[in-house]
Amino acid sequence: MDQLPDFWRTEVFHPLSVHLPIALLLVATFFKIVSLWKSGETWNKGGSILLFIGVVGAWISVYTGNLADGIVSRNLCDPTVLKDHENSSLIMAWLFTIAFLLEAAYSFLRRGWLNHLVVALMIAGSGFLVYTGHLGATLVYQQAAGVYVPSDDCEEFE
Amino acid sequence: MKRIAKIIPAFLMLFLFAACESTDVVESGTYSGTVDEVEADKTEIYVKTDDGKMLELYFTDETSLTIAGEEVDFSMLEEGMSVEVEIEKVGKRLDPISVKIIE
Repeated sequence: MDQLPDFWRTEVFHPLSVHLPIALLLVATFFKIVSLWKSGETWNKGGSILLFIGVVGAWISVYTGNLADGIVSRNLCDPTVLKDHENSSLIMAWLFTIAFLLEAAYSFLRRGWLNHLVVALMIAGSGFLVYTGHLGATLVYQQAAGVYVPSDDCEEFE
Repeated sequence: MKRIAKIIPAFLMLFLFAACESTDVVESGTYSGTVDEVEADKTEIYVKTDDGKMLELYFTDETSLTIAGEEVDFSMLEEGMSVEVEIEKVGKRLDPISVKIIE
């Protein structure tokens, strides 16, 4: 009889950790775009705070993804998708990290072009974020990456 | 300053793309090359073949690793070693059947 595996498997921590930074970084980008036209602390400061938490979350996701990689790769039929997912996620994480560092520099230097550069990097980062998410979803829904597939008779659930 | 603002993202994107690893998918067979990278915690190696392809290989329970016909532990693998790998292509996944360290 098959045994239902423990839910808290190493590869499960990746999907658990990715969704918060996805939401935060996309909303942070939206806030920062709005802040170019609308003055007020809410959009600018709010975007900065979301960006900081999102960047930390992004690197946690990269770490958990690296842990999952060693486990799920052996069962995938097309690991090249995983490699693209990994590469895209690293580009995304670096773009947002550099945007955050330039954002910190902007608070000292107060150069307008620096602020525009931050927003441009965040828009580019959001593009890679969406692409990374799409590839991640492809891995799960088309290759069952990290997914436990129940037996035909569901005996392990009885 | 505005010119710098335009140049930085272009250089940044170039740098980030260049830093990415890309791998190749090849047909089942035997290939010789050099170990480009060893990821011990994942029992994974990257092999650069003599014709310039980069193969990402995750060891399975069936993978044999040998030096002069003798089975050896994964920890013996090091970057720069010459190897001959026998690969089975499953879908687009490359399963290493055997890895021979030639040195």
